[in-house]
Amino acid sequence: MRSPVLPLTWHLARSSGRRGLQSQLLAAGAAAVGALVLLMLLAAYLGSGVRADRTAWRTPEPDRHGTAVQALATTFVRHEPVTVVSLAQLPDRRPTPAPPGLSAFPRQGEVYVSPALAELLRKLPANQLADRLPKVASYGTIDAAGLASPDELVAVVGRAPTDPAVSEAADGSGLWDDGLTARAVVSGFSGGKPSVFTRSDQQMVLLGVGLLVVPVIVLASAAGRLGAARREQRLAALRLAGATPRQILAMTAAESAAVGAAGAAVGALAYCALLPALARIPYGIGTWYTGELWVGLPWLLAVVAGVAALIAVSAVSTLRQVASAPLGVAQQANPRRTRLIRLLLFVGILVYIRQSASGGDLKTGQLVALVMLFYGAFWLFGPWVVDRLGRIAGRFARRPATLLAARRLSDDPRGAWRTVSGLVLAGFVAGFFTVGHLALGGIDFGDRVAVPTANGATAVTEARTLLREAGITATVSAGEDDFLLAGNDGVTVAVPGGVEKIDAALTALQPLAGGRLPYGADYGSAPDRVAGDLLSDIGTATLAVSFLVATASAGLTAAANVLDRRRVYGLLRLSGTPLKVLDRARVRETALPLLVLAGGTTSTGVYAAYQLNKAAESTISTSGAIQLAACLAVGTLAMFVAIAGSRPLLRTVTGDPARSAE
Amino acid sequence: MSIVLAGYGLTKKYGSTTALAGVDIEVGERDSLAIMGPSGSGKSTLLHTLAGIIRPDGGQVLLGGERIDRLGENRLSALRRSRFGFVFQSGQLLPELPAEENVALPLMLEGVPRKQAVERARRWFAPLGLDGLERRRPGQLSGGQAQRVAIARALVVAPDVVFADEPTGALDQATSHEVIRLLTSVTREQGAALVMVTHDADMAAHCDRILQVSDGRIGTYDQFTVA
Ligand SMILES: Nc1ncnc2c1ncn2[C@@H]1O[C@H](COP(=O)(O)OP(=O)(O)O)[C@@H](O)[C@H]1O
Ligand SMILES: [Mg+2]
Repeated sequence: MRSPVLPLTWHLARSSGRRGLQSQLLAAGAAAVGALVLLMLLAAYLGSGVRADRTAWRTPEPDRHGTAVQALATTFVRHEPVTVVSLAQLPDRRPTPAPPGLSAFPRQGEVYVSPALAELLRKLPANQLADRLPKVASYGTIDAAGLASPDELVAVVGRAPTDPAVSEAADGSGLWDDGLTARAVVSGFSGGKPSVFTRSDQQMVLLGVGLLVVPVIVLASAAGRLGAARREQRLAALRLAGATPRQILAMTAAESAAVGAAGAAVGALAYCALLPALARIPYGIGTWYTGELWVGLPWLLAVVAGVAALIAVSAVSTLRQVASAPLGVAQQANPRRTRLIRLLLFVGILVYIRQSASGGDLKTGQLVALVMLFYGAFWLFGPWVVDRLGRIAGRFARRPATLLAARRLSDDPRGAWRTVSGLVLAGFVAGFFTVGHLALGGIDFGDRVAVPTANGATAVTEARTLLREAGITATVSAGEDDFLLAGNDGVTVAVPGGVEKIDAALTALQPLAGGRLPYGADYGSAPDRVAGDLLSDIGTATLAVSFLVATASAGLTAAANVLDRRRVYGLLRLSGTPLKVLDRARVRETALPLLVLAGGTTSTGVYAAYQLNKAAESTISTSGAIQLAACLAVGTLAMFVAIAGSRPLLRTVTGDPARSAE
Repeated sequence: MSIVLAGYGLTKKYGSTTALAGVDIEVGERDSLAIMGPSGSGKSTLLHTLAGIIRPDGGQVLLGGERIDRLGENRLSALRRSRFGFVFQSGQLLPELPAEENVALPLMLEGVPRKQAVERARRWFAPLGLDGLERRRPGQLSGGQAQRVAIARALVVAPDVVFADEPTGALDQATSHEVIRLLTSVTREQGAALVMVTHDADMAAHCDRILQVSDGRIGTYDQFTVA
């Protein structure tokens, strides 16, 4: 005999009318947001890995039996890095395969540039950029296969094997050269390490993923809890009709999984539709190629299935609670108390985090672990605070709306916490990343240019001549002990007058540098600056997504509460309770914990950022504080909008006296 | 006996369904009135119309001689809050509020300071046999106790009329009698009138008068009337 579960589920789902439809639409909406965010996170994670790999060919992979010399050099224009790959085919060796993005191995004198660099070459005066590359009639183009981002500035230069740019002198050995300058004999381009500018991308994304995964799961499980009251009634009715608990659970699972899958599929479609827009969001080295952000069909299906499963599990476990509690979850006999141990654990964990963090120099993995720990600590602490808050507000409440909100808070602190947890965490992220703006590039090299060169004494004179010919006023000194030279011989040049003058000096001094390229402060602080920039990118993105998820969560829970409590709200309205009071109570039960907890986490974030900055000996950015204020305003507004979104629902749900009183 | 609440020529249609087909009804001071009738006969519609919850299509509703069927939603809401009390079948108490705060809520909505409101609410617990249950939450009360709390809440604002729609619909027979006995007696002591919908003749018998409703009309079963 065929199982009657599926047809019966279908029948009941269809006959549950508008009420049922409303909560199913809400659940599907939450599933859509959840799937969309998960896919975005996955895309960023996988995409940043792909992107890093696509930069790997530029770093030479030594091969003793190689066929060509490859030299990687990095120069900066307008503070942006330009990667210059010099290639020279060795005589009497087998031909070397073409590097990615080129159709053939470049011949001597050929220069290929990425589209973004081509544009910059057109825009900037030749004496600031173009003169750093060999003069050619026209540039070839590096196509997307050789680039990680459409914004990347890359040049591939074909040279003679005797060219200084591919000589041993072109090999970087100084303190600052790591990953920026290298030279080796190679046989192809399949090895290599990801560039300095992309190699931490993925780890940083992981940090953001760590911060966002929990709120997304909370959102999905909130979707599963939707319509608990309706299912509870149906459960009772079905029991009477002779359905077994197992059948009822199976029906619930089937229904919620179907709704979840439908919603998640919409989210997946939204992700596909948004791909071109998502690719416009710059991260690290710049915007993305759309293909890099495509997670692939298996992942897409896995996310849809995962979200649907999460919702089904949450729905079934809620119903299990209902089934085992005779009064149902909607009418708890006893409030769920929270114990003091939560506070103690919270303090313990915070102390531990402080201890570990003050050791300094954390790897990304450790940082992620600490952030997760911090989050876990708040997961323990949040409900406790909500509970206390409810009791304190309950004691001092003078207005009915405040009293209702307070009693709700201490009745189900964990539920109230779940609603606001996303925004509370966003508060921490906001506090940490906006005020932090981690200026990790701690060393200030000033507006100076260094030229590594063997014969220091004559180099000073030559440098002066070159600069004079270029019309640049600058102070040249022999730089033996200069930190910017990092132990190499050479000269340093102080260049007043801003980045354009520096770019001109970098260009003018190139003939002096032999195999190396002259470099400035940007070069010396590149790795630190990359890390700082990535953190702030991730911070901004995490913040934006946090707000999205948190707002969806708050709105969903608010709507679900209205649907689950329609009867009592309806009867209260019949007895003359103004809708305004019920509505204010709804807003307060979210706003109260949010203000206290988000305020707390935000200041913790500011404090943590302040500590980190102090360690890095830099100051707090004031623009960060303004950003933070803006973020908080946006977050608060979003929350109010999310809750106000269910006001019409409250009105219609309580508006029909016949329904309420039956 | 002066008339507190009256409805004349009340009609109400839902699409093609006639819920009220011209009802005249008068409720006197301290009067207690049971409305009986088969399911779907229009009992609830009548009660809601008298209580200013539903606007009738035709006819008038007068409270203390003043027409209330034309008032705006806010005025009506305030009227229900201050001059009427309501007892429904179940689920009208807020589950997270202790009993005494559920009872005090209507007072607080009227602007009575919280401390006073709760004090006045507490006074109702002993007469209704709820002594010691003040801090219990609805989930910790039996069905009969919860209905008695609901009665306290209906009476705490000293209303002119208490409306009860199947107040014992979810209770067993013995508890039902106990609750209705309290409802009728306490309402009378308070000087309020009672309009109660029920389908149970035993419950109706606690009232002074019984009106039989069928197909949106009042039948006359005044033989039950206790003078
Ligand atoms: N909001 C409504 N919309 C449509 N029909 C309604 C509505 N309320 C009541 N009715 C109809 O009006 C008639 C009387 O309903 P009601 O007063 O609730 O009956 P009773 O309380 O006696 O069972 C019924 O046929 C019912 O279906
Ligand atoms: Mg009825």
